[in-house]
Parts: sequence; C-alpha cells; structure tokens
Amino acid sequence: MIKIENLTISFDDKKAVSDISLEIKPGEILGLVGESGSGKSVTALSLMGLMSHEAVLESGRVTFGDTCLLKAGEKPDEKMLRSYRGKHMSMVFQEPMTSLNPTMKVGPQVAEQLLLHAKDRYPDAQSRRKCVVETFESVGLKEADSLYDKYPHQLSGGMRQRVMIAMAVILHPELIIADEPTTALDVTIQNQIVRLLKEINERENNSMLFITHDLNLARRICTRLLVMKDGKVVERGDTEKIFTDPQTDYAKKLIAAVPGRVKHPEIDINNSTGNKILSVRDLSVFYKEQSKKLFGGKINRQVVFSAGFDIYEGETLGLVGESGCGKSSLCKAILGINTNIKGSIENKTVRPQMIFQDPYSSLNPVRTIGWQLEEPLYTMDVLDKDIKTDKKWRKEQALKMLERVGLDESYYSRMPSQLSGGQRQRVSIAQALITKPKLIFADEPVSALDVTIQDQVLDLLEDLQQEYGIAYLFISHDINVIHRVSDRIMVMKDGHILEIGDRDKVFEDPENAYTKELLAEP
Amino acid sequence: MINSVFRTKDGKLNTYLVIGASMAAVVIILSVLSIFWTPYSPTAMSAAQRFKAPTFAHIFGTDNFGRDIFSRVMKAIGTSFLISVFVVLISGTAGILIGSVTGYFGGIIDTVVMRVVDAINGFPSILLALVVISLLGKGRANVVLALAIAFTPSFVRIVRGEFIRLRDADYIIRARLMGAKKTRILFLHILPNIFSTFWVSVTIGFNNAILAESGLSYLGIGVQAPDATLGSMLSDAQGYLGTAPWYALAPGLTIVWMVLSAAMLSEGISRRKKGVR
Amino acid sequence: MTYILKKIATLIITLFLVSVLAFLAFQIIPGDVVTSILGTEATPEREDALRAELGLDKPPVERYINWATGVLRGDFGKSYRYSKNMNEMMPVADLIGDKLPVTLWLALLSLILTILISIPLGVLWAGTKNKFFDGILNVLTQGSMAVPAFFLGILVTYLFGIIFKAFIPGSYVGYKDDFPGFISYMIFPAIAIAIPKTGMTARFLRNSTLTELKSDYVRTAKSKGVTDGHILFKHVLRNAMLPVVTFLGMIIAEVVAGSIVVEQVFALPGIGRLLISAISTRDFPVVEILILYITMVVIIVYFIVDIIYRILDPRIRVE
Repeated sequence: MIKIENLTISFDDKKAVSDISLEIKPGEILGLVGESGSGKSVTALSLMGLMSHEAVLESGRVTFGDTCLLKAGEKPDEKMLRSYRGKHMSMVFQEPMTSLNPTMKVGPQVAEQLLLHAKDRYPDAQSRRKCVVETFESVGLKEADSLYDKYPHQLSGGMRQRVMIAMAVILHPELIIADEPTTALDVTIQNQIVRLLKEINERENNSMLFITHDLNLARRICTRLLVMKDGKVVERGDTEKIFTDPQTDYAKKLIAAVPGRVKHPEIDINNSTGNKILSVRDLSVFYKEQSKKLFGGKINRQVVFSAGFDIYEGETLGLVGESGCGKSSLCKAILGINTNIKGSIENKTVRPQMIFQDPYSSLNPVRTIGWQLEEPLYTMDVLDKDIKTDKKWRKEQALKMLERVGLDESYYSRMPSQLSGGQRQRVSIAQALITKPKLIFADEPVSALDVTIQDQVLDLLEDLQQEYGIAYLFISHDINVIHRVSDRIMVMKDGHILEIGDRDKVFEDPENAYTKELLAEP
Repeated sequence: MINSVFRTKDGKLNTYLVIGASMAAVVIILSVLSIFWTPYSPTAMSAAQRFKAPTFAHIFGTDNFGRDIFSRVMKAIGTSFLISVFVVLISGTAGILIGSVTGYFGGIIDTVVMRVVDAINGFPSILLALVVISLLGKGRANVVLALAIAFTPSFVRIVRGEFIRLRDADYIIRARLMGAKKTRILFLHILPNIFSTFWVSVTIGFNNAILAESGLSYLGIGVQAPDATLGSMLSDAQGYLGTAPWYALAPGLTIVWMVLSAAMLSEGISRRKKGVR
Repeated sequence: MTYILKKIATLIITLFLVSVLAFLAFQIIPGDVVTSILGTEATPEREDALRAELGLDKPPVERYINWATGVLRGDFGKSYRYSKNMNEMMPVADLIGDKLPVTLWLALLSLILTILISIPLGVLWAGTKNKFFDGILNVLTQGSMAVPAFFLGILVTYLFGIIFKAFIPGSYVGYKDDFPGFISYMIFPAIAIAIPKTGMTARFLRNSTLTELKSDYVRTAKSKGVTDGHILFKHVLRNAMLPVVTFLGMIIAEVVAGSIVVEQVFALPGIGRLLISAISTRDFPVVEILILYITMVVIIVYFIVDIIYRILDPRIRVE
C-alpha cells in the first residue's frame, strides 16, 4: 500500500500542492485529474522523490508499505530512494521522444534497469538481452530482437511509448505512475496504449497512478478518481460516482465542460445557407525537400493527393485526422501560404483568416493587443479602395471587438505576455474576425487549452458564427470536439480525403474502415 | 525607469548589466574626455622622465621616451572605441539589411549569400581583416573597413537566422493573411522581435572589434604612429618587460577592461531577454 | 557514403572558389607590380623582360590556369620582395619551407591543451553543487576570455620567462635540431593561446551539460534509480558533447589565427610572421599562397569535425 499523507510542497514560497493525502491499493488504477497547474505532476514526482531542487517539502510524508520514503523536515535518503525507484515503483512519461536518451540504443536503456537492480539474476549481457526482448514482446512490440539495437529516433511515437512501458514493467514493480502517457500520441495509438496499460494492471495486479487532464480517458481506465485544483484535492471517489453525481461546484463545472458525444440540441443548428463559398477541386500539395542523392537537387514531396470538397456559407466543416495526415498543409495551400500546388481553388470570400493552436505563438510578442487588433483594419484600408478608416475609428472597432470576445478595454494597451492562454486565444479570435471575413480556418484552436477554458472558447466561436454568418474549417484531432462543433465532417489520412459527410451520418455509419477505427467510442 | 532596466523580470538586480554598464561608462567618459583633455600631452617626450614607475603624478608610469602612459592610454581608448563603434555600426546595419531580406525571402540570392557568408564566417576574422588591409593598405579608415567586412557575415547570419525562425511564426502567417505589405511585415512585424537577440550580438561584436583592432595594431598593420593605440603600445612595451613591466600592463589591462565591459553587457542583456517570457 | 562524397565534392569546389578569389584579389586587383619591384628608374626593356618572366603579359584566365597548375605541382610562384641572388627571385616554396610545421605544431599543442583541460573542467563544473567553486570558475573563465592572445603571450613571457625563469624568451630552437627543446619552448606560446579557448570551451560545455541535465531522459534515468554520477557520465556526457564538437571546430580556426599573432610575441619562425611581413611589404604571391594554405587547413578541419559529429549523433549518422 502506497500512501501520501498531508503533503505540502512549495516553490519559492508558493504552494504547489497543499495538504494532499492519497493511498493506492494493489490492483487498482487511481486517476489524478485536473487542469494544468493543479499540482498533479508534482504529486506524482513526490512519490518517487524526484521533485526539483527548488521544491520544499513543508509537511507530510510518503510511505511505501512500512518504509517511509519522504518526510517533511528530514533529508531524503537518496540511496534508499534509488533502491525503490525502478524496482518497486516506476514511471511512464508524456513525451516518449524526449524521455528516452537520443544517443543510446533502446535495448540497453531498458537493460540498465536490470543492471542496477537485478544483477544477481541477470549476471551477463546475454541473459539481460533475453529478458529485455521478452519484455518488449509482452508489451506488444514486434521484431523485439532487432528493436533492441535501434535508436529512439528510428521508432514511431507509439513504439517509443511501448519501450517506456517495457522499462516500467520489466522488474514488475508494485506501483506504476503514468503521467499523461497518451497525450502526445495519435488517437488510434492512444487507444492501444490505454488498453495495454489496463491489461498490464490486470496481469500484474499492481497499483497504478494515472495522471491525465482528459476526463473521458480517466473515465475509461480509472477505478477511483481524485480531482485536483490549485494544489488541493477538491473531490475524491469512485469514477462513475464522480461522473454521474459530482458533489463540488468545481467538479460539476469540469464534468459539464467535457466535450462528450451527447447532442446539445440548443447548439445543433445548421447555419448553412447553402451558398458555396469555397470549392476545391483535384488539389495536390507539395513540399520541396533536399534530395539525399549525390548531386541530387530538390525533390517535390507530395503531402496532399487530389483533394476535392466545398465549404458552404455559415457551416462548420470539421476536419479530422492524425498528425502528419496533411490537415495543416491543406489549409496553408488553400490560404495561399504554400503555393507549390496543383489543382483548382475557387474562393469567393475576401481574405479568409486563420486561428492557430498555440496561443503563445499566434500573437506578436512585442506589440500591444490594441496594435494587433488595428493592424488588419489598417491593411484593409490600404488594400480596399472603397474603405477609408482613421485612427479613431480603428481604435473604436478594436475596443468593440475586445468587448465582444469578453475582454475589457484595459486589455487594449497590454502586451501578450501579460495574458493567459485562454485570453490570448480570445485576442486571436478577435484579430481574425475584426475585418469580418466569411471564412475562418481554425487549426486545433482549443487543443492547447484546459477543458473549462476550451468550453468557453468553443461557445464563443459558435456565438460569433451565428452573429456574423462565418463558415469554419475546423481542424482537430479530438473526436469529441469535432463532434460538438461540426455540421459536416471530413476525414483525412496520409494526404487523402477518405470520407466527407454529414456529422451524424459519418459518426453513426462510417463508410471507411479507418474512419470507423478513428471515431470508435472506446 | 532606470531602476527597472537593471532588474530582471523577477525583481532581482541584474548584476552583469550593472557591472557591464559601469565599466562601459568609464570607457565612454575617458574616450570622450580624451578629445579635449589629457593629464599630459600624449606625445611630449622627456629624457629625465624615462621609465618612471606609477606614482600619483603619473598613475600608469612613463615609457621609454618619458611620455605619460595614462595620457597615451586615454587617447588610445578613444581611438579604439571610435573604431569599434564604426565597425559595429557598419556591419550591424549591413547585417540587418542583408539578413532580413535573404532570411525572409529565401531563394537563390539567399543560397548564394549564405555560401559566401559561411565561407567567410569559417575564416578567423583577424585573418580576413589582414587580407583586406594587405589590399587596401594601412590606416584608420582601412582598419574600420577591413573589420566591418570581416564582421558583417556574423551579423547577417544572426539576423537571417531570426528572420527564418520568425517568417513562419503563426503571427507572421496571420499578418500575411491580413494582406500586410512585405516591407511592413519585415520592419514592423518581425524586426522589433529580433532586437533583444540583436543587442546581444552587437555587444559581442564590440568585444571582437576591440580585440581585433588591438591585434592589428599590435602586429603593426593597424592604426599607424604617431597615434597611440593599445596594441602598438603593447608591442613597444614588450621590449622593456624586465625594466618596466607597468608599460605593458597598462595598455594590456585596459584592453581586458574594455572587452570585459562588453562581455558583461552582453551577458546582462541576454539574461534580461530570458527574463521576459 | 554518398554524404561523404557530397561533402568532398563541396570541399573541392570551395577550394577552387577560394583560389579564384585569392588570385583575383592578389594578382588582378593590385595591377602591374613590375614598377613596384624594379622601382621607377628601370628601363622599359627591363620591365618587359620581367613582365614576361612573371607571365604578366598574358590574359588573366591563362595566368590563372598557369598559376593554379603550378600550385598543384608544388610551384608556388615567386616572391616580389625576396631574392635568391642578384638575378633570381626567391620561389615562394623556398620561403615557406619549414615554417608551416612550426605553426601547425603550435596550433596542435594549444588544441591538445585546450581539450585536455576544458573538457574535464566543464563536466566537473556542471556537476558541482559547490557555490564557491562555481563562482571562482565563473570569474576565471569570463576573465580569461577577455584577454587577447598577444597580451597573454606577454604575460606568460613576463611570468614564466622573467619572474620564474622557466624558459629564456627568444631562445627558440628548430624542431629539426632539438625536438624536445622545441616542444618545451613551444609549450609557453601554446599556453597563451590555450587559456582563453579553455575558458570558452569549459563554459560552453558546462552550459550544454546543464541544459542536458534538465532534459526529460535524465528524469527517466532518475526514475529508474540511476546514480547522479552515472547519469552525468553514461547518459548526459555524450549528448552534451555534441554541440561542443561543433564549437571546437570553430575554436580550431581561431587557434590557427591565434598562432599567427602569438608567433609574433614569441618570435617564432612560423607562417604567421611570414604572413605579417609579406602583408607589410605587399608581397602578394606569398600572401596568396599562405591564405590558400590556411583556408585548406580550416576547411579540412571543418570536414573532420562534421564526420566526428555524425559518428557521435546516431540521429544524423551516415547510413
């Protein structure tokens, strides 16, 4: 039994977690859910005694069975902690690429574990190799023997995460901590990894601490849940109980914000007027790449293969697909950012705009919010002969738009660095909409936001669509978000459009096998 | 305001910036002052005053001709500082102009410019300056020109790198979608973003300019006599190391002081930059 | 393999371009050198004869081809300033003679010193938790980088030559006459070059090690129970060395440049002193060959550094 009792940890006198208690029983998967900055990861790292040097343990203790691993006021016994790490408890991290040493073969990285904790059982390299290969096979890695001598960059994301899991289970520890283990992976891979973790839990009958921001995922895998906010546990209990009958306000809000596949009748209005505003025919997109051959010049690599579709006024066309399927390339081609294309694009709207995923890079860091909102109006003045604007009018418009996206006029003179992620995304939306375009490309606009903020931003996008009659091409990897916003859905894989159709049709009766796998409710 | 300049984002005093700025202030004051006034004439010789160790009258001592070393060092600081300012000004401006255009637009011009820049950059700057001087001849203006040519590639590289990094930034793509003109994107949207990086390279450029200028004059192919330069003073002093070590120490340590002030400033600025986001 | 071939091809093209540039710069731009060799008093016949002897009466392309094939055969042309005897000009090859090894030895010694000291120092520095040690190293390396090589040379001469009498300044012996004596003299100029480079490299390695220590895979290693020392040497060092290899490549170019200046301080008969005097007297054929020489060394060093980098980093390793 692993226990945390009344744990308080602070950084620079700011409390990261305060007065946390939890226990994990053998055979159960305990979920730790909450938004970014809620203290989930700090809690997990404290179990392993891996907090950074600046962290101060103010109160509480961590016990593993009868052993006390950490105690406030006592210097941690590093040697004892090391004998537990990897052997009795192990961790799977979010980013499988950076979590593996890039200059070391994956086999030896896993074998290191045996060398450290089980040298008596595996005294020679041959026996260690055998054990690693067997573990690789047990976590579903194929051709395990040749995999042993590969470097991390030669593996796919899913394979790397399996290697991380192999590393975590090779010594059959009593506790596995999984810190957002599927967040960096594609949907289909995500499902496989979640199944694998669950299977391991059943097979080994160990304890698992599963940390995630994704409540749908937590619901699928965890037996019990701890909901965290601002370093405190606000609610705990059996998973289904929390989902069906949340007690605290915060848990209620959090669960309401989760984009599920339940229909919201009030927002399920198709706004389309049936006017075609964009039509794409037989569009192929290429990227120039340096040839690897001697004296070879540039070669054209095709990333989108003869795409054809239409967008109608006022509708939302949802575009789903896994990373690298050509979603963003398609957008950039239509917007004219990439001109290396073949095929025809007929666009009846004036200067369609784009909203990006990362709220930190979509605003110019050295300009005030006001300047950035007036800039599109200024260029509109320069470009369109019949529009004349002056400084006063532009400022008025900027302030009006700020108010429309829910920010007061004090934001006009602020810099982007003074804003939170959600606020920045609101400014981005305001900037895209200030010239009232009829078509917006939204490339994962809410993927970097916490779930409650995500909900608010989606609401805002939907309201503005109604108000201005905008059409969205809405890209997302999150099937639930796509389900919520789209009128029609387009599925892409490896540069090909596999399927286009009305949302309910595609969800309920997909034509394509891949679509079925992608949209499957796990 | 001034207080906030010398503090990092979290309110701690930026020690590097404070030390660097104070050291640079001494350099600037002495070089401006040297135009109007030095304690003694830097060229006045006196047989009676030869090789006097530092005293209150001659704080850096006197040289083999009985000239006051401090006065000569002051003049030399002025020369060195002025040359470095011009070198950095010319190569920095050239760097921004060439780097921004090649970085943003890319294409064949960029490829050609980068080949040249890479070739020159791999070459030690003092050697390049030597080549240019061997063609142009010695003298103050030629030193400036030679060093400016030698330093331009590194500025081009830095500015170009920043423009390449930013040209596909989300907010620049958005500026393009708005329909902003290319010059407006280059100079109003991107350029202000590279200043924090640019100032660091300006101070590093200063650092290298001072080292290279004194190196050239030490080798006897920089600024020519009778103008006092730190390098030529060192070269003269080398013969009297046993009898008058202060003669070598004064100009030598002055170079170290000037270089250190630039180095501290650049470290301070880069720390400030890190504090911002 | 293709990669190496491609690299070698670019290497040859670059050398060719540099040779064209050097030829343009030193033989075409300066114009007719005959008057500057003979003085204004010479008869037109004498001038024409010299012009023919130097091949200056031919068109530029032919002159380049003659010069370049000469260089490839080991005929580097003739010096404008030095003469063998009354009627014969000194071949550049004779002038350079055994000067190149002196400079190369100096550069090599400095490089060895730099690597031997800076790499352990940088790693220890990154690994230390001692604030005092950290502060001292910070001041020392920052200071060392601010001292120009020639001033360091003078300080070394003063300290080791005049105060400690560890060597006699000016008592250089040739490497052919007394190799141990040569090395024990050369070690002092090498120290002068190595000090700032050591400071720079140690700082650079420390920073790259600290960056690596913050990376995710270090956290993974810790979660496996790996000791701090093991993490530093088995996991981090190789990754931290990657940028340092590139950095050392740039350092080598600067060490060569530093050698040229420091030769002047210690009165070493290397190519640096020859280059300086050739520049002062506008002896272009000599400058031209020396520049080609140095470029070649620098380019080859970059080539080797690139190959080493590819061996160390599996991500871009030659397949």
